[in-house]
Amino acid sequence: MRGRWLALASALFALALIAGARMRRLHEPRFPPLSELKAGPFAFQDAMLAAAGYRAPAADLAWIHLLQYAAGSLPEYADHPGHPYEHLATLSLRVTRLDPSFHRAVLFAAGILGWFHGIERPDEAAKLLHEGMRRTPEQPMYAIYLAALAYKKEGDTDRMIALLESSFDRPETPSTMKSILANLRQSRGEHREALVLWARILESDRDRSEHARARLKIAELRGLLAKPPAKKP
Amino acid sequence: MQTISAVFAYTFKEHLRHKAWLSAALFGLVLLGGAIIVSALGADERARLLLDLGLASIELIALVSVVFLTVHLILAEIESRAIYLILTHPVRRSDYLLGRFLGTLAAVALGMAAMAALHLILLSLYGWWEPLRYLAALGCMLGKISVMGALSLLLSLALTSEAAAMAFAVFLWMLGHFSAEMRFLADRSGSSFMKTALVAFSHAAPDFAHFNYRDFWHQAAPGGEWLMWAGVYALAYTAACLALSFQLFEQKEF
Repeated sequence: MRGRWLALASALFALALIAGARMRRLHEPRFPPLSELKAGPFAFQDAMLAAAGYRAPAADLAWIHLLQYAAGSLPEYADHPGHPYEHLATLSLRVTRLDPSFHRAVLFAAGILGWFHGIERPDEAAKLLHEGMRRTPEQPMYAIYLAALAYKKEGDTDRMIALLESSFDRPETPSTMKSILANLRQSRGEHREALVLWARILESDRDRSEHARARLKIAELRGLLAKPPAKKP
Repeated sequence: MQTISAVFAYTFKEHLRHKAWLSAALFGLVLLGGAIIVSALGADERARLLLDLGLASIELIALVSVVFLTVHLILAEIESRAIYLILTHPVRRSDYLLGRFLGTLAAVALGMAAMAALHLILLSLYGWWEPLRYLAALGCMLGKISVMGALSLLLSLALTSEAAAMAFAVFLWMLGHFSAEMRFLADRSGSSFMKTALVAFSHAAPDFAHFNYRDFWHQAAPGGEWLMWAGVYALAYTAACLALSFQLFEQKEF
């Protein structure tokens, strides 16, 4: 009787090993090893959550920290005067090291670093995008943003805008990037095109965080479009 | 079979009436509420945050419940000496243990199903509706909980101390999520002894890292064949732990 349970346990354990090997052969989760997590104020939290099997929730919390930092309310990562968003790349890499499928964190940070008015650090944005591409090469948005940065460096703004607008409705495109694009159109005097972009933001459920600003901008642009064009001297 | 179903029904009802189960279910609802609040901070990724945090809350509550209930399951009866009375009846020890385990697992699964139904309703309100993928994630979570329940039961019978059994169960839970890390370390280890020990350990511990569907489904989600093997893995591992528990329980002298 005793031997029967032991023999059964051994057979079942062998079956579990075979099934485990088959599972691993069919799908290998692509998470960077824990050794890649960098030291910092949230390193313990990240390591504990990842070790307990909660990598996705850990990346979600890191994303909230990234948004808090971008809004200027994360005391653990205070910027030095004259160096706005100096930790943005670090915080976005923290998200992607926890969960490389969190593409929006990299795109969000690259969008701010590459195109945000008064920031414009395209080299830093390109480095970040290369890092994202290394982790998930199948994500097309990284290549699109890198190409757009290249056009920006060449001063070919028309092609840059056209390329960025081609990915406007993709689910990975951050709302911040959409508003940057609409503002870019407005700054070039293309009010009608800017109005269309803000209207598309307002229609999208995913961009709820930008809806309030979209309403204001639409009203502002309608006002500008209603005015008769200034007479040339 | 009749004995197993009788013990199953008795255990299931016992757990549903237990304050610990009700507290866990209530705490799970509170955590789901917390997930709604936290996800509001996620801006564009609100649905993803609600999904991840909700599933993590459900799994965490189920894990705590299953470890607490299974560790307590037989040890409490041994301590109160109720086991003597039960085993005087013509009940095979393995049937009794299996009925108790399945009843406990069913009670925990019911709690998970209730929380998942509420979670799915909340997700649909935020525009996320992929019930099949959600069911797959829930199935994998139930598989992990079933393995953890069987391991906790085995540990409680082997260690005969509730505290030690719970501590070891939590340790094995962590170790299970470290299986990929252990293989990574084995690849880089220069010592052949360390390499062999790490590989052996990574195979012996339950491989939760490859079972963690809810954690990696934002990457390319595995297909139907993977899910089938995941089911085989959970069933075989659970059954192996139960067979070892039967062995230990039959050796005990009451």
